[in-house]
Amino acid sequence: MQTAVVDIGWVQLCFGLFFILIAGLASFFQALGLERKLLIGTVRTFAQLFLMGYILKFIFAINNAWLVILIFVFMIFFASRTIYKSVDEKQVSFFFPTFLSMLISFFFVAILVTSVIVDVAPWWKPQYFIPLGGMVIGNSMNAIALALERLLSGLRARRQEVEMMLCHGADYKEASREILREAMKAGMIPSINSMMAVGIVFIPGMMTGQIIAGADPITAIKYQIVVMIMLVGSTTIATLLIVLIVRRLCFSSGQQLLLRPQYK
Amino acid sequence: MNINSPIIDFKQVCFSFSDDRFLFKDLSLAVESGSFNLIKGPSGIGKSSLLKLINRIHDPQAGEIHFKGKPLETYQPQLLRRQVLYVQQTPLVSIGSVKDNLLLPFLFKANHDLTKPDDIRLEKLLAEFYLDRINLNDSALNLSVGQQQRICFIRGLLLSPDVILLDEPTSALDEESSRIVDASAARLCRVSGKTVIMVSHKNLNANDIKPRILKLENGKIRET
Repeated sequence: MQTAVVDIGWVQLCFGLFFILIAGLASFFQALGLERKLLIGTVRTFAQLFLMGYILKFIFAINNAWLVILIFVFMIFFASRTIYKSVDEKQVSFFFPTFLSMLISFFFVAILVTSVIVDVAPWWKPQYFIPLGGMVIGNSMNAIALALERLLSGLRARRQEVEMMLCHGADYKEASREILREAMKAGMIPSINSMMAVGIVFIPGMMTGQIIAGADPITAIKYQIVVMIMLVGSTTIATLLIVLIVRRLCFSSGQQLLLRPQYK
Repeated sequence: MNINSPIIDFKQVCFSFSDDRFLFKDLSLAVESGSFNLIKGPSGIGKSSLLKLINRIHDPQAGEIHFKGKPLETYQPQLLRRQVLYVQQTPLVSIGSVKDNLLLPFLFKANHDLTKPDDIRLEKLLAEFYLDRINLNDSALNLSVGQQQRICFIRGLLLSPDVILLDEPTSALDEESSRIVDASAARLCRVSGKTVIMVSHKNLNANDIKPRILKLENGKIRET
């Protein structure tokens, strides 16, 4: 089953702005003050997505492994930066560990999926590698930020408990084991919950896109399953690496908790 | 270690949490082995921080602290803290039985060489701290604050430390519990020869020992 995709005309696309107009009017009459943000958001949506479309067209045409890898590294760098900004932490510099952990886990999972599960040759084929990898990066970002936030706030909030254990001969790993577990769980639960609800509570974007593009729903489902599994794998590996590295940064070689209360 | 040398020796120690305000500046203090030391001073002056420098929960910015004649940094932190035991101001017990809480330190790798005490020894210790009506299987969280404080005290003693650092151990306790904790600390010093350094706003409620009283003020310490 493969039918041609119905293209959206430029005029029709602009009709879509009607919904933005409704939101803008609601904001204006209810004095929400969101009009400016709404306008910027709309412009950015159009600009960023069109830019991405043209970049993808260019990458697909060039079909070069190094370019694909470079784009993927850039996406991971940007995701790390987003996480770094969203976690309010002034004492521990966690940008590089985050970037490195995401780089390792996302490359590992994405290469494994394209080369073994989807079985594309070459493994970096841009039509597969970039959309699949991009979905994983985008969906893992929140989970990683959540795990990091939980780790740092847990160490601060339970400082007395951590120090009590250190005072009784625990090393930093033993003293923070429970907090690490909770941070890991916080990072992993969203992707596990998504697996529970997928297909019942929501129809995921990738599957919707493929079905609209005329793919067989069963093929679309298989791809979606791969994405869900990739998400669990990459989130787990990235979260584990990040919390282990960042936890180490929170303690000195003298087994002292370095984090101090942080005031805003 | 020379027989007359102090067990703990602060040599011109400077310490601060921030760059602009020093809690201690060139602080020197010698603590004799087997002595009972009571540190006093207003809130926020750094009494707890002083204790935490001795077991390396904090490190000084300048100066040196020696334990048994050697700088603290020469000891493995876990083994140092086992010998120089710090008992926190707020008793910290976790979900689980009294026994689970007492044996918590034996779960840590650094303490695996120590013999885990059996129930008879634990019950004997509970009795020494007037907790003989408590069963080892009772939930630790259901105990009163005074009882929990004594459980924390016993938990530390099971590691057989040479030095015991008590951070306001009686601040949240009633008169009766305070008296028991003070008397137990005094007994450990007098009978077992332990060195005790206690931070407290109150006077020591024990007749069988005369503590050395130290006052902490303006970043320095002086004997009164």
